[in-house]
Amino acid sequence: MGIRLFKEPELEKPDLICGWPGIGNIGLIAVDTLKGVLKAEELGEIEPWDFFYPKKVSIKNGLLEGLEFPTSKFYYQRLEKRDLIFFIGEEQPTEGERMYATGEKAYQMANLVLDVAERFGCQRVYTSGACVSPIHHTVKPRVVSVVSSEKLVEEVIRYQNTILISEIGGREGEGVITGLNGLLLAVAKKRGLEGICLMGEIPDWLSGSPFPYPKASKSVLEVFADILGIRVDFGFLGKMVAQIEEIVERLYEGFPPEIKERYDERKFVVQAKPRGITEEDAKWIKEHIDEFFKKRGEQGGEKSV
Amino acid sequence: MEKNLFEIYQSPQLRNPSLIVAWQTRDVGKLSVKIIHFLNEKLGGQKIAEIKPSGFFPLGGAAFKDNLLRVPESKFSACQKSDLLIFQSEEPKYEWYNFLNGLLDFAQHYCHIKELYTVSGTVSLTAHTAPRRILAVYNQPEFQKMLQGYGLEDMTWEGPPAISSYLLWLAKRRDIPGISLWPEIPFYLAAGEDPVATKLTLSFLDSRFSLGLDLGELDSDIGNQNEKIAQLREEDAEINEYINRLESGLSLNEEEQVRLARAVYELLKE
Repeated sequence: MGIRLFKEPELEKPDLICGWPGIGNIGLIAVDTLKGVLKAEELGEIEPWDFFYPKKVSIKNGLLEGLEFPTSKFYYQRLEKRDLIFFIGEEQPTEGERMYATGEKAYQMANLVLDVAERFGCQRVYTSGACVSPIHHTVKPRVVSVVSSEKLVEEVIRYQNTILISEIGGREGEGVITGLNGLLLAVAKKRGLEGICLMGEIPDWLSGSPFPYPKASKSVLEVFADILGIRVDFGFLGKMVAQIEEIVERLYEGFPPEIKERYDERKFVVQAKPRGITEEDAKWIKEHIDEFFKKRGEQGGEKSV
Repeated sequence: MEKNLFEIYQSPQLRNPSLIVAWQTRDVGKLSVKIIHFLNEKLGGQKIAEIKPSGFFPLGGAAFKDNLLRVPESKFSACQKSDLLIFQSEEPKYEWYNFLNGLLDFAQHYCHIKELYTVSGTVSLTAHTAPRRILAVYNQPEFQKMLQGYGLEDMTWEGPPAISSYLLWLAKRRDIPGISLWPEIPFYLAAGEDPVATKLTLSFLDSRFSLGLDLGELDSDIGNQNEKIAQLREEDAEINEYINRLESGLSLNEEEQVRLARAVYELLKE
């Protein structure tokens, strides 16, 4: 189980910003876009064998050319205000059939990521993911935060378009950040590092959909730009947002008028708790989304060699 | 070598063996099971060791199929005279990397293998009356060159890897020459048995390792199967037409494929 570092750059107390796949790939897209905008350079990787199964084999004219594994890579960049290390995992290590990291493997992965961060003097860790919320899809998603200390509460409430998770009702002050976006912060806290999770809101009825939700990634990215004091060109994300909006609008157009009417109430209220649609409505929407994507995905399975 | 991974029953009396690996999971045409059973029986294979299931297989209870308990078994047998090491197992459910490295550790450091052969059937859209091919994947170009002349066909493919490809890749990293043999099996024999593919694969192994196997007994299985399918074709015009089309190189739609596969499976399971 190993780490391979390609370089040993001199970094001044870098912040670590991590992204893994999750609901709507909100965090992953935000962090990956930021890494691209800042032209961060490759720093190293975590060897995949102990965490992942290979995803692709290439065989040409009878010769096994290679196996491809999900990557878990580190990048770095020095900025005027602060230095950064990025970690981007293509997959979360899982045990069994789960989608999100659990168990010993996830704990090992979290520790390896933090080993690298601490080696370069990191004292603060950011992760990013999704916050499933009762919002309307036309509303700008807010960024919902969970932090590791009271001191950080004071800081995050000053970020633009950012709220504390306690401001969203229905959770009675408790909850879990699933997968490595949560676990990494827990391990970081145990190691005495600061931790901030920035989660972009995604409408509840879209949380099970198979496409990304870049509108929320954009909200998260705006907050990162604010924290880092940088200007970001959102052109690429803007195009992606428009494409997904089209699909979402098509789904929304298929809602029966009475559900649409109740759901549209969400446009006009700041959501504190789920409202606007009934449980029955939610069930109808979920079933019809599944049907929509089932039709698009019925192309048969693949064999393996 | 991590000794805790293994249960070792006896020291192998092998010189510099070749390793043959077969997986019982998703065993297309029951090819792997048939081949390993045949080799062990004819060559006097002796069980010498196994990889312990803990950590690799679910142990929360006991699985059963057709009234019989199924115990995960990952065993090595040695065929002393032929200098062959045989490994037969279900695919592990967890920790493929550690399992396959354990397999190679035992084979390389304890038995000093020189080459690796994996055997698995691959589903083909050809008719059962067409000649079978063995598609091959090598992990070293030198080994590919060495095995020219055995009538194997080079495979080209990109997609999700099977466990055999993962093993072949790990062997390459250890500099162990290896080949994966993928005999073609007509799709409508995939759920049953394919004695033609079994015989073809055994012929290759017989010739490669000079085993002196008598493969004649497989001819009666082949004859019986061909006869039964011929009878079905006579009795069922639709099935006959499907097979005719496959024989002419034409394809069947999904529904037709399912109908043919089901009819042949029902016929041969009796």
